Amino acid sequence: MIQGIFYARFLLQQGPKIVAQSPPDCIVTPTSVSSSNNQALSPTAPTTTGATTTAPAPAPAPKPPLIDFDVLREYIIPRKAFCNRFITVQDPEGRYAVLGFPVLITHAKYPRNEFIFNFGLVLDADAEQASYERVVRRLAVTFAEMEKQDEYLSQQETEDWSRRGYGLGGCYRGGAGAGGGGAGAGAGAGSSTCAGEEKAIVGGVKKVGGERRPIESLLEIVREDLNNYGECMIPVDDANTINMKLFPHHPPPPLVKGWHVPVAKTKLASLVDPTWDLTLQKVIAHIDGVSDVRRIAFQADVSLDLATLALRHLLRYDVILLLDLFFFGSCYAPRAHGIHDFVADADGMQDECAAYVSCGPVKVPRFRLVRLMTSFCVGKSVMEWIRGHQEDGFDVLRFVDVRRLVQFGVIKGCLYRVHKYVVSKQYLAALATGQARPAGGDPLQKYTDGCHSFDQIITEQNLSDAEIMERLKHLPLPNGDLTVFYR
Amino acid sequence: MSQPVLPNPNNFLAVALVINRSRDGPNFVFHYPPQVRPPHSQPGQSQDGSPPEPRDADDALLERLNEPVSSLDDPVDPSSSSGHPPPHGWDDHRFTENGAQIVPWEHVAGFPTRDLASILTPGRSYHKKLFQLSLDPLYCVSCPIHVPESGIWKKKKTKKPDQAKSVRTEDAITTPSDIDLARQGAHASSTNGGETSQPEQKDKDKDKDKDRDKDRDRDGDRSDEVDDKRASMTMFNLVFILHPRKYQVKELVATLYLNIIRKVSKAYKYSQQSSDFVWKESKRIIALKEKGREERWKMGTLWTEILSSSSLAASVQDIYEAVSQNRIAALQLDTAAGPLTPSVQIPVPFYVADLPPDGEEGQRGLWLTSANSFISEDSLDEPGFLDRNFALLLMEDERKIIAELQADPDPTTAAMVEFVRLSKPTQSFYQVGQSNVLSLSQVRKYAQHFIFWRRAIAIPPLHARDVYILSPNCDTRRLPRASVEWQKTFPLAPPLTNFLAELSYAPRPYKHFCPSKAHRSTYLLMLAWLMRGGWVTQLCTFAYVVVWPEIQYEVEYQLEAEELRRAEEGPASGTSIPSSSFESSEDPHRPFGDDAHVPTINEQAAEQARLERIAEKTQREAAEKASAHALKVVPTATAHPSVNNAPHLAHMTPHIILDAKKATGKESLYMSAIARRLNDEKLAKAWHGFCKYFNGKSALERIALQEDMKRKEAWTLLTAMSEHLMVVRHW
Repeated sequence: MIQGIFYARFLLQQGPKIVAQSPPDCIVTPTSVSSSNNQALSPTAPTTTGATTTAPAPAPAPKPPLIDFDVLREYIIPRKAFCNRFITVQDPEGRYAVLGFPVLITHAKYPRNEFIFNFGLVLDADAEQASYERVVRRLAVTFAEMEKQDEYLSQQETEDWSRRGYGLGGCYRGGAGAGGGGAGAGAGAGSSTCAGEEKAIVGGVKKVGGERRPIESLLEIVREDLNNYGECMIPVDDANTINMKLFPHHPPPPLVKGWHVPVAKTKLASLVDPTWDLTLQKVIAHIDGVSDVRRIAFQADVSLDLATLALRHLLRYDVILLLDLFFFGSCYAPRAHGIHDFVADADGMQDECAAYVSCGPVKVPRFRLVRLMTSFCVGKSVMEWIRGHQEDGFDVLRFVDVRRLVQFGVIKGCLYRVHKYVVSKQYLAALATGQARPAGGDPLQKYTDGCHSFDQIITEQNLSDAEIMERLKHLPLPNGDLTVFYR
Repeated sequence: MSQPVLPNPNNFLAVALVINRSRDGPNFVFHYPPQVRPPHSQPGQSQDGSPPEPRDADDALLERLNEPVSSLDDPVDPSSSSGHPPPHGWDDHRFTENGAQIVPWEHVAGFPTRDLASILTPGRSYHKKLFQLSLDPLYCVSCPIHVPESGIWKKKKTKKPDQAKSVRTEDAITTPSDIDLARQGAHASSTNGGETSQPEQKDKDKDKDKDRDKDRDRDGDRSDEVDDKRASMTMFNLVFILHPRKYQVKELVATLYLNIIRKVSKAYKYSQQSSDFVWKESKRIIALKEKGREERWKMGTLWTEILSSSSLAASVQDIYEAVSQNRIAALQLDTAAGPLTPSVQIPVPFYVADLPPDGEEGQRGLWLTSANSFISEDSLDEPGFLDRNFALLLMEDERKIIAELQADPDPTTAAMVEFVRLSKPTQSFYQVGQSNVLSLSQVRKYAQHFIFWRRAIAIPPLHARDVYILSPNCDTRRLPRASVEWQKTFPLAPPLTNFLAELSYAPRPYKHFCPSKAHRSTYLLMLAWLMRGGWVTQLCTFAYVVVWPEIQYEVEYQLEAEELRRAEEGPASGTSIPSSSFESSEDPHRPFGDDAHVPTINEQAAEQARLERIAEKTQREAAEKASAHALKVVPTATAHPSVNNAPHLAHMTPHIILDAKKATGKESLYMSAIARRLNDEKLAKAWHGFCKYFNGKSALERIALQEDMKRKEAWTLLTAMSEHLMVVRHW
C-alpha cells in the first residue's frame, strides 16, 4: 500500500524540495510547498500572480505529514556520491519507509551542470518493499530518459516558472534543439502571463504537440492505480507510457537435482498453452510423479541443465514439488510433528490420504491408515514394513498403493526418507588433510565422503543399488575401509 | 519452517564508527575490516548456491546514468574525484594525474568516506532509535547516539552515585530475555531475573570502583565539563554495513539491531558518558589516520597501528569478527575509568524440532529433538518438570571450562566450578540438585547461565538403555574433521564412521553397542561427544490410547443399560413436572391478575390429552429401546480385545484417544473401562498415573524420570498396557 508518492528536486536556491506529492499533505503540507515557492521567488519577482495560479486551495484540515522532510531530506536528495542508486530509509519512529532513486543527470545545459530529481514512495515500514523497488526504479528510469531526450522535467519547471512571470531564459544556455526552444518559449511566456497563450506555447515546445499532464496528477494516478489494481498504465505524453505492475517477491526456489522426482500440484496440462517456452512444454509432458529429473530430461530430449532450470521455474510458481526416488528397498521413518498431525487427523488428512492411496475396491479405513503410517521406522525398509503388516493379517499390497502412501506421507511431512550413504575412511582422511581429491580414477570414489546419497549415485552413474554395491566392493581400498550408513 | 537469518561474511560486510562534531562536521573514524568489498564485484553465486537476484531491463538503463555523458555536446569534466572509486583490494596510496592523493582508506565499499560520514550522521530524532538506510545494494543499520541536549556527555554528579550502576543493571536484565531462553531450551520458566552474566557481573564491580573514582575527583569536575564542551562531539554512530538478500532484510536487521547494535551502542554511550571514551579514542584514531596520510602508510600498516593502540578500534574489530561468524563478541574497552567488558551475541537455537527442508543447510548439525517443542503449557507449570527431564551437556571439555572459570577471581566462580564438576549429561538437574553441594535453584541459575553463553545445552539425560540413532540432521560435511577428532579423543574406540553406521542400521538400546560393562562409562562419554556434535539423536517412543471395538461396545452397552434403568425409575418424576405446572395454572389465586388468560374447559381437556399422548410415546419408545437392548449381545471381556473379531463388533473401528489426560465424556469412560480390564491393581493405578503421557508428545522413555521410578518397573508396566496403546517412534 503506497502511503505517499512524491517528486523531489534539488533546486539551486532552495536545496532539496518536494515539488509534487500525492496525497497532497503526505510529505510537506501544501501551504508550505507554495509558501516556500514564494519565498524562493520573492527576491526577484512579485509573488501575487504566482501564488494564485499554482497553489491549490489549501485542504480544510490538513493531516500532519507522514514523515518529517527536514529529517529525511538528506536521504531523498543525497550527496552526489549516492545518486543514481536505489535508496531507502526509515523514519525515526519506524513507521514509514521512504523508497527513492535519486537521479543525477550531468550536462552542461543545466545550471551548475547538474539536474537532480527523485521520484519516491512512502510505504508502511513493515510493508514488503521488494515489489515496490521495481516501481521506483521504473519511475526513475523513465523520467531520466525523458529528461535526457526532451527535457521533460526541466521543461515543466520552466513553464511553471514562466507562468509566474519569472523568465528563466538566461539560465539555460543553448543545449539541444528542444532545450533551446524551451528557453526561448519560457522567456516569451515571461513577458506575457496570459493563460490562453501559454497552452499554445506549450504545444509549440513539445514538437509532438500533445497536452502534458502535470506531475502532481500523474503521481496521484500512479498511487491510486497501484494501490487499487496493483498495476498501472499511464500515458505520460504522446510518445511515452509508464507501465508498472507489482509483482510479489518470492525467495529463490530450492535447487533441483537430477535425482529429485517432481510431482505436479495442479493439472499442469490445463495450464500450458502453446506460447510457453518449448523446453518447459516438453518437460511438463513427462512429469508423472515417478520419473526423476534425469529421466525426464532424457525422455523429453532436453539437456539436464535446461530441464533443471525449467523445473525450478515451476517450483518458483509453486506448481510442483520435489520428492525422492521411490524404491521398495528404501527406508522411511516418521517425523515428529507431521506424524502427530496425521494421527490427530489435522485438516482431514486421513480422508485425503484414504482417497489418494486406496487401490482396492473399498477405501482403506482410517484407523488402518494410521496404523500403516505410524509403523514406519528407522531401520525398516518398505519391503520389511509390508511383510510386517502381512504377518499381522493385512495384505497391504491388495488395498494400498504403497508408493502413493509413502509419497503422501513425505509430502505432508509425516515421513522422511532415510537415505543410504557410503563413506571411505581413506577418503575422509585425505579430505581432512586438505587433499581435495585423492588419486584414483574410479568414478565412484567421489561419492565416498558420506555426503552423496545412493539416489544421486544411482541417477548419475545409471547403476542400480546392487550394482553400486558390487562396484564398491571392487574399489582398490583396504579391507573394511568402506562403510554404508543410513541417515 | 524457514531457518533464521543470521549474519555471515556474505551478508555482513563491515562495521564503521562515524562521529559528528559541531565545528568540524561529520568524520568517518574507523571501519573494519579495512577492505570492504564493493558488493558489485563479489561473485554472483552466493553460498547457498542460488544465482544472483534477477535484473531487469530498467537496471541496464539505470546503469547508463552512472556513465559520463560523453555523447552529448558539452560534457562536464568526467574526472571529478567521486565518479571513480578506486579499484578494490589496493593497499597503497595513489595519485591522479593532477597530483591529488587517493588514500586507500578513504573509500569504503566504493563510496568516499567523506560522503558516507555525512549521510551516516542522522539528526537528533534518530537518537537511540533504529536508523536504517539502504544504499543499494548495501544496508546501513545503526543506533545513533547523540549528546544530551545540554551538550555535555558526562552525567551531572548531583544525581545519585549509583546511577552508573543502574545503567548496567538495566542492560543485564534486557540481555537474556525470557523469550530467548525459552527458545534456547525452555528453561526459563523457574527463574528469570537471575540471569546475571559473568562479564556483566564484573562490569558491575568495575562500575562500583568507578563510582568511587568519580567521587574522588569530584572537585576536578568543573574543568572536565569545559573539556567536554571543547571536545564537542555531538553524536557518534556505530554503523553495521550489511548486504542481505532481498527477502532477508527485515529479519537480519531486526536480529542484529535487537541483539547487537543496540547493546553495543549502549555500552559505548556508557563509556562515553563515564569517561569520554569514544571521543578520546576517536581523536587518537583520527590523528593516526592523518599521520598515515601524510607519511603515506600502507593501509595494512595503519590498521595494525590503530588496532594496537585503540581499544575502541579493537572492539570494532571484535564485533565484526565475532558477529559475522555468529560467535559471542566479548569486547574490552579500556576506558580511563577502568576496563569495561560487555559481551553481546545473537542467541542461537541449539536444537531443531524438525528436519529442515531439502536444500536449506543452515541448520545442519544441530541436535534434532522434539523434547523441547513438544512441551505443553501444562507440563511447564508442573513443578520440577524441567529439572527432572533435562541434564546439562557441556559443549566443551570440562577441564577447559573449569580452567577458564578458575582464572576468574570472582567468588561466584567457585560454585560454578563445582557445578561443572557435578553436572553430568547422564544426570538430570533434579539429581544434581539432590547432592548436598548445590541447591536446585543454584543449579537452575548456573545452567541457564551456561546455556545462554553457549557453553552447554540442556538435553534429556543420557542413558545406556535408551535408543540412539544417527541423526537425520547430522552434518556429514563435517565427517573428515570429526573423524580425526574422534580418533584423538577416543583412541581405542571403533572409527567414527563405523560407529555411526552401526547406530544407523537398526535401532537398539545403546548398551548393546558396548562390548562389556567395564566399557560402559567410556561409551557414555562417546555418546555425549556424539550428542554435542549433533551426530545422534534419541529415538523415542510416543503413545496414544487405542480403544478397541470390544471396549467401545462395552461402554456403549453399559451406557444404554444405565439410561434404561433411569428411565424405569424416572416415569413418576418425569410426568409430575408438566402436571404440576398444569395444576398451578388452574390455581384461581394467581398473582398475575385478571388480564391473564384463563384456560377454558375445552382447552384444559386438550392439554390433558396432549400430555397423555407424549407420555405414551415416551413409554413406547422406552419399551422399544429396552427390547432392542435386550436383543443385543451381552459384552464379554476377552483377554485380548484387539483381536476380538466377534460379529457384533465387525462394524466398529478402533478409536484413538489423542490426549488421554484431557479425555472427556465417552473417552473418559473408555479410559476407565480399560482400567477395569487391567486385572492387576498396581497396573490399574499406573494406568491412571501414566495416562498423561499417552498424548503422542511425551516420550515414554522419560516416564521413569518423571515418576521417580525404576526404568525397568516403568517399562514392565508399559508393556502390560501395550495392548491398549498405539506407539510411534521418532526423535
